[in-house]
Amino acid sequence: MPTRLTSFFSGRYYPIRCIYHDKYDEYKAGPPKRARPSPTAALTAPEQKGNTLDRRDLLKLAAASALPGCLPLRSAWGAEAAIEFGCPVPVSGAFAANGKYADLGMKLALQQQGKVLGRPLAYTLLDTEGKPATAVRKVQELAQQKGAKFFAGGILSSEALAMAKETEKAGGIFITTAGADEITGSDCNRATFRWSVPTYGAIERTVRPLIEEHPKAKRWYTITPQYVFGEGLLTAAKNIFAEKGIEHVGNSYHSLTEKEFSGYLTNAMAAKPDVLLLLNFGSQSSDALRQAVSFGMKQNTIILMAWASGLEQFEALGADLCEGVYFGAQYWHGIDTPGNRELVKLCQETFKANPNYSLAGSYTCTRILLAGIEKAGSAEPAKVIEALEGMQFEGLTGEEEVRKEDHQVLKNYYLIRGKAKSAMKDKDDYADVLSYGKSFLPVDKTGCKM
Amino acid sequence: MNVYLLQVVNGIGIGMLYFLLAVGLSIIFGLLRFVNFAHGAFYLLGAYFCYQAVQWGMDFWLTLAVVPPLVGVLAWAAERLLLRRVYDKPHEFHILVTVGLALVLQEAVIIAWGPLGSNVATPDALQGVVMWGSFIYPKYRLFVIAFTAVFAVLLWWLLEGTRLGSAVRAGSESTEMVTLLGINVYRVFGLVFALGAATAALAGVLAAPIRGVEPFMALEALGVAFVIVVVGGMGSFGGALIGGLLIGVVQSVMSTLWPEGARLMIYVAMAAVLLLRPHGLLGRG
Repeated sequence: MPTRLTSFFSGRYYPIRCIYHDKYDEYKAGPPKRARPSPTAALTAPEQKGNTLDRRDLLKLAAASALPGCLPLRSAWGAEAAIEFGCPVPVSGAFAANGKYADLGMKLALQQQGKVLGRPLAYTLLDTEGKPATAVRKVQELAQQKGAKFFAGGILSSEALAMAKETEKAGGIFITTAGADEITGSDCNRATFRWSVPTYGAIERTVRPLIEEHPKAKRWYTITPQYVFGEGLLTAAKNIFAEKGIEHVGNSYHSLTEKEFSGYLTNAMAAKPDVLLLLNFGSQSSDALRQAVSFGMKQNTIILMAWASGLEQFEALGADLCEGVYFGAQYWHGIDTPGNRELVKLCQETFKANPNYSLAGSYTCTRILLAGIEKAGSAEPAKVIEALEGMQFEGLTGEEEVRKEDHQVLKNYYLIRGKAKSAMKDKDDYADVLSYGKSFLPVDKTGCKM
Repeated sequence: MNVYLLQVVNGIGIGMLYFLLAVGLSIIFGLLRFVNFAHGAFYLLGAYFCYQAVQWGMDFWLTLAVVPPLVGVLAWAAERLLLRRVYDKPHEFHILVTVGLALVLQEAVIIAWGPLGSNVATPDALQGVVMWGSFIYPKYRLFVIAFTAVFAVLLWWLLEGTRLGSAVRAGSESTEMVTLLGINVYRVFGLVFALGAATAALAGVLAAPIRGVEPFMALEALGVAFVIVVVGGMGSFGGALIGGLLIGVVQSVMSTLWPEGARLMIYVAMAAVLLLRPHGLLGRG
């Protein structure tokens, strides 16, 4: 092993002490006379402490300070082990905005709680990059390295489904706000819980009230993403159409990467619908709405976006575009319940802003986990799952309940309508809540067998 | 039948934007033999600068005039400082450097404006739709078609009728000969790169009221630009125009015939053109 380093730039020799120099001498001297602990002991043997800051402590400190979104890890030093949480959300990539707010939501909930069962709380932000494989790997790593058992995240359905399976294998608990029906349907498992309303409820609580409000609107045109989730929304909508005698004048599927909706909208306009039902989500729903309004469709067609993203979408689109458009929302900061008022107040104090759906979803998922731990009196996942099943609590949308058979939280879904800019009371008052309610498929129809 | 006519008109509208996006890339590749993966990033910058300018109260018409030259200057600086060093290297180096530049620009946009998308309002004079019988089409998109047509004519005149244009065209055929004739080829390269980026930025400014602005629009734009360049032929102005219109019409008509495959058909059309004419429709052998 050389003890000199040739200078990369000048070619001159500089004598240096190679970090492993002492080990090399030892190796040359023969078998070690005393056992030296390996450098990786820092990660697996947290009880070792010293008065001096040796290399292992330096590694630990460096690792702890480098991890983003961490609460201070006193567990490595102190006697009470913290309860470890994981927040697996996309921090980079197209859904980074949702991930950022989800991180804030969990941080808010954990800081508000402080301690549970006398133990401090710690969490780690995991960047899933919106990819299921990355998400699974990071969940595995956190479960192994820190023994984390409680995960709240999964913005995209694909990553949520993958993490649900992984968490069950790792013996943890995973709670998500992702939309795919399978999460509490055919792919349900004992470790997975879901806070958001799946496709059936989303359609029931937006399409039905709209039909009641506009009984003469008989011709509906749908725009659907070619995706399992889109299919779910479309099937639920078609069932209601058949029941209410609505004429489904046409449907346009589109790919998940589509940005140009003018072709589909031209098609839609040719069919002369009374209602344009947008079944896509995220930036695609924003693009579709923006282009529909530019084609003048607001003049003679009612537009309903069944799965809106909430406040961040209104901010991106602006009040003028959203005026008179109907949106379906999982959450709205204007909801008047004790649970939500508390969150809005906390959010205003901490961030000087109103909570959006990503933040609220992550906050409430974390709160549900904490409530489960408290109720179970233990941080053992199996006991917490038992405590969570059937648990009723005061949630963001009012009285909420964790359904025992499929681990779906029964909560309200909202139909809101965009307001005129002149009618807005403050910069976030984009919409009025028109109606809300709880609609869920009975357990035997969801396909969930646990 | 009416629907198809509407779709063709819509396709022309989309196609003109695609043409704007692709023509810069085509000229850059034709002259510089340089694979520019940062093209989408200049489109992104154009859209975001337009958004910021409108936020500051600037008139949309003014941003059309101000933003593309600004992005052109930035591109010229990037070419001078960064890209000139890799001209003589193999194409992989071009790709590495420009992809790196594109990522840096995209992340810079996210740092400056956040990861959420935003809206740029259509200018007041162009709001609303044109109604002609059952033909309904947004005024703004008609404006885009008209503006791009005028710009295409100007660009064509620049390439065919000016000395700079003849230097560009000659340089596409043989850089050596042009140098021997005493023309400072590197200065021409810089100007052409700036022009290509400015055209992409112009496409970004025009697309902003239609599609809004969001940090990940660069990637999608780049994909489409490459398809148009490949279909039309690398280095060909006419090819970019025909390719753009063809792809736009295909995408639009497919959204009636086979909606879920509209995006796919772009690439199928590209594959079909490549099978029939490997160098693109108007590409040189």
